Amino acid sequence: MKKNTARNSEQKFAYYMDLLSHDVLNNNQAVLGYLELILAAGGVDKTTRKYAQKAVSHIRTSTILVDNVKRLMVTREMDSSELKPTNLIVALNSAEREVVRMFPDRKVVVKIPSKISEMLVVGDGAASDLVLNLLVSMVRLDPSEAITLEFKLSEVSVRGKDWLQLTLEDPTAHMPKMAKDMPIEDAYQEDSSIAVKMVGILYCKMMAGLLGGGFEVRELNNKAEPKGAVFVTTLLKAGEP
Amino acid sequence: MTSVLIVDDELFIVELYRDILQLRGYKIVGTAFDGEEAVRKYGANSEKPDVIIMDHRMPVMNGVQATREIIKMNPKQKVIFVSADVMVEKEAREAGAIDFLPKPFRMDDLIEKMQKVSAR
Repeated sequence: MKKNTARNSEQKFAYYMDLLSHDVLNNNQAVLGYLELILAAGGVDKTTRKYAQKAVSHIRTSTILVDNVKRLMVTREMDSSELKPTNLIVALNSAEREVVRMFPDRKVVVKIPSKISEMLVVGDGAASDLVLNLLVSMVRLDPSEAITLEFKLSEVSVRGKDWLQLTLEDPTAHMPKMAKDMPIEDAYQEDSSIAVKMVGILYCKMMAGLLGGGFEVRELNNKAEPKGAVFVTTLLKAGEP
Repeated sequence: MTSVLIVDDELFIVELYRDILQLRGYKIVGTAFDGEEAVRKYGANSEKPDVIIMDHRMPVMNGVQATREIIKMNPKQKVIFVSADVMVEKEAREAGAIDFLPKPFRMDDLIEKMQKVSAR
């Protein structure tokens, strides 16, 4: 009986979360739409255009954050065996287009392995969201006007299973100090005012874990400053037991 | 000029679509604030819109049900489903929607879909 009550309460909570998220997305739509109408109107001066473009970028970020909340709510209820395979290459290309549009005031270049057309991993839509979050989190660590990010793919076999290792490198990113000082998972124990500085990284770590994989952050070890950053995400290849 | 029926329960969203589409030269022939109103208006008007923009989560009748009813009346009707509920895409397409756009979308994405769908 107690278990049922807990489940009902959780369902009610998920229901309200869903309603609120839906409302936020509708409002984001209105703000985004009117900003684009302002940008499309004639006679907009350079400074106003720059501010409006920055606002567009933040609306997209806000939407990704809402999607992340929704995705966490759905994925935490699922077993990784329930997740459908998704083509990681399609997800990489789609995320590349999205991140370039999200930062119109910066020159973002994303290099993707061009020789592979299909690489199936476990994760359904959550894997696509994860890839976009990797890119956005990395761009947020890099203050440069021009940013070049590079994805690398490799296959690894651990404990009798085949995994896909997705590495994202940015030689001009600045690693958050706390990510250098402690294992990422310890950030959960920290004051949230510290953890919030690396919420994107924490999300990637949590989502990769929910998908049955893993996530690590390290410095790229450039000789000069900044040292750059590397995200290493491990995802289970589809078809693995 | 391509004619459009806008269906969404949020007035501010209907107004936004109208502003965007009119700016890009589309003719708004009607609006509806729930699925039932959309079906009723669609059935009552002899001149059908070229495209319907359909939301999903609406009172009285949702977008999937409304799309199903409209497609029953006219299997050739073009419906673009626009919703924040990305999980509903498969159901919307099965009901007869010709395309799906997740909210929030960029203005150019909507216009691109409108052009693609109108040209079919």
